[in-house]
Amino acid sequence: MAVASDPVLTFPPDQIPDPDEFVQAAMRWHFSPETGSPYWLRRARTLDFDPLRDIRTFDDLRLFPNIVNELRDVPARDLVPQGYGPSAEVIGVYESGGTTGAPKRVAYLADWMDRYVTWSTRRMDERGHPHGAHWLAMIPSGPHLWGEVVARQARRRGGFTSTIDLDPRWVKKCIAEGRADEAGRYVEHLLEQGRFLLETQDIGVLVVTPPLLERLAEHEHLVKLVNEKVRVIIWSGAHMDADSRHLFRTEVFPEVQWFGNYGSTMILCGAVERAGSEEECVFDPFSPHVTFSVVDPGTGRPVPYGARGQVVMNHISRGALFPNNLERDVATRIRPEAGQLGDSVADVSPVRTFDDEVVIEGVY
Amino acid sequence: MGGPTGTATDVPTDAAPGDPVQLDALGPRGPFRTRDRLTVADVTGRPVAELSQVPRLFVRRGLSALRAARPADPGALAEVIARAGHAFAHGTVGGLSAPGHQRLVSRVAGVPIAVVRSATARIERAAAEVERTVRGARPTATAGHWRDPLTRGGGAVWARRGDVFAVHAAGNHPGVHSLWLEALMLGYRVAVRPSGREPFTPHRLVTALREAGIGDDRLLLLPTDHHVADDIVRGADLSLVYGGDAVVEKYRAHPNVLTQGPGRSKILLADMGIGEGLVGAGGMASALDTVVSSIQDEAGVACVNATAVLVAGDPAPVAEAIAERLAHLPSLPPEDDKAVLPVCLTADARSLEKYLLGQADGARLHLGGEGIVDELGDGSAVLRPAVIQLDRPDASRLGVELPFPCVWVAPWTPEDGIGPLRNTLVLTVIGRDEQRVGQLVERLVDEPSISNVHVGDHPTHWMAPGVPHDGHLAEFLMRSKAVVR
Repeated sequence: MAVASDPVLTFPPDQIPDPDEFVQAAMRWHFSPETGSPYWLRRARTLDFDPLRDIRTFDDLRLFPNIVNELRDVPARDLVPQGYGPSAEVIGVYESGGTTGAPKRVAYLADWMDRYVTWSTRRMDERGHPHGAHWLAMIPSGPHLWGEVVARQARRRGGFTSTIDLDPRWVKKCIAEGRADEAGRYVEHLLEQGRFLLETQDIGVLVVTPPLLERLAEHEHLVKLVNEKVRVIIWSGAHMDADSRHLFRTEVFPEVQWFGNYGSTMILCGAVERAGSEEECVFDPFSPHVTFSVVDPGTGRPVPYGARGQVVMNHISRGALFPNNLERDVATRIRPEAGQLGDSVADVSPVRTFDDEVVIEGVY
Repeated sequence: MGGPTGTATDVPTDAAPGDPVQLDALGPRGPFRTRDRLTVADVTGRPVAELSQVPRLFVRRGLSALRAARPADPGALAEVIARAGHAFAHGTVGGLSAPGHQRLVSRVAGVPIAVVRSATARIERAAAEVERTVRGARPTATAGHWRDPLTRGGGAVWARRGDVFAVHAAGNHPGVHSLWLEALMLGYRVAVRPSGREPFTPHRLVTALREAGIGDDRLLLLPTDHHVADDIVRGADLSLVYGGDAVVEKYRAHPNVLTQGPGRSKILLADMGIGEGLVGAGGMASALDTVVSSIQDEAGVACVNATAVLVAGDPAPVAEAIAERLAHLPSLPPEDDKAVLPVCLTADARSLEKYLLGQADGARLHLGGEGIVDELGDGSAVLRPAVIQLDRPDASRLGVELPFPCVWVAPWTPEDGIGPLRNTLVLTVIGRDEQRVGQLVERLVDEPSISNVHVGDHPTHWMAPGVPHDGHLAEFLMRSKAVVR
């Protein structure tokens, strides 16, 4: 039998809840025996604080240990809050890219997907992105989340979706083993499949990773097709340095609208490029569900606005709780927009090594 | 020339920038100033320039533009290259005078300004004679153009193996940039990745060539970090890569990559008992001149500088005599007209010293035993010469090549054979016994791992346009193609 959660956790899209009320409602949901997930209820017993009593504000989330490494082993079923009851609609178990070791996995609930798609497609409306367009997504599908998100975004906007699947782990493996040529051949294979679609279909939205787009940009024929047909390029999955972004926007695809997303499996979605981001690419998260802080990795304290630090991510929703996760990325700390909790981030780039693993982005 | 090349100067980017020179990338659409820039510092660590670091996208687009460009007309090319060489050596290029440029190179690379000036003259001469140089490398039975009467009824034409040529340049000596002009002359479209340690020379030469009329889509300067650098090699048809042993090893199996690695140049004093002869007055004094000049000219930073001297008989008097000559060289800042020794950051000098003394452990140091670092008081230090005597021709130590006048002196007997002489860019053989020297030279010229043989009083660093330095570059760039008509 499902249990109703505090309505503040499912606030309407045009209303910003009180942050403290939101956090406290989330703690009640995730740490009450009737509603919390088996994982969190078990894990709470090992915490040196009581989430129900001690986590009152967003700043208090820092008390949580970073538990994401445990998601490499936890049964996905144990991550579902019991408050959903036996009919919880889990639309998938999605995994991280495996950039920093064995993959982490999360159980993904339908109601969160609906909230995120609603939020993100509103951002698209604000930018005047087309409705009813044909999308071409040259991105990873399962076990990764992105493909599923894009399929639903396109559908919500009345679009058709064509997909060319991309296996980022294979590419990373090739690069790690010094088989860059093999990775290159794979990328050419992907581009060839994309070419058939660009040549024959009226593709209006291209969803792609920066490394793949870089390779696409070497083919004048494809560049011409994209400039002729595509109205929006949605990019995510890997970082894009400021110089490449400038070249893409001004020289390679000057007529196309750009929409960057800074996604992470551990926030179950992506933050979106702020409209009008010119010199630096600023990403705003879906606050208060998703919040960032940019910290000095040595001290854990926030760096000043405009300075670079490592990104800490929090995800809080009815479907999941992943607080205080020190991500692999470094970014510039940016002032949030009005009403947003935490920081925005700009010019995201991966750290060179993370947990002693060399970070290889590959094409994803 | 190869020689120790080092890696990009790693200067903290938060150092006070002052008013640094901006070295832009030179792309197919003109200069490109990136947001990501490498600080280039002088020998005291003071930032003097910012070098734009292009992303992979810029490299790939640039190489595509090179591939799409047509080769220039050879007749016009020779004239353009010669004019650019003159402007490089004497004119104002990109707003910088020739003396201003030379001073910057000297201050950043720590190479004595006299060496920079002579390298400048060498680049000018190479540019002036580039057409003759590439013609000299052409197989004699091969025509330069398919319309040549030689191809009537069947003949060979000298043809490019590719269209796009990339250079990963070294920063140890500005003279390295005289070589790739030959690729340009042969119709290649060229991408030069400058060393972060001394990017001024390639920037100026590329700028001068563009100002002289080489199309922006035929010649690029692509400064970038080492992650993206591999993409330049991957994207080009053929590449020339300067570097140390690791780089040479990395590309060993790549038929389209030519490496220029450590030179390990050597001198063999082939007459028994030659040591005593050198010290005394008389006939062999000129041999000592040749030895000393091979070690110290070019400030010892070039791959053609002698790294080892092998002596038939007792090496001690030879080592002693070399040390005596080198001990008196002055310690001066690199931009001083009288400077002859290289200068670098004191911290870097100390690491080199530690490395040298470790390698020399157990050997007899005739010079440098007390250290080789002479601080100039401004954060920089002169690297002073070292002369180390070994008691046998120990190949591993003879191969220790350092970027200053540093020489290993070892005994050699005819019984040792040519083993200790292998893996050498330039080998100078000096001896009065003509028959013995002749027999030896016969074997040395046949030995594949010895690139150049100088017989008699010709220092290892002797070079001339048209005389191959490490084979003709054109041997790598071209092939003979049958044409019948």
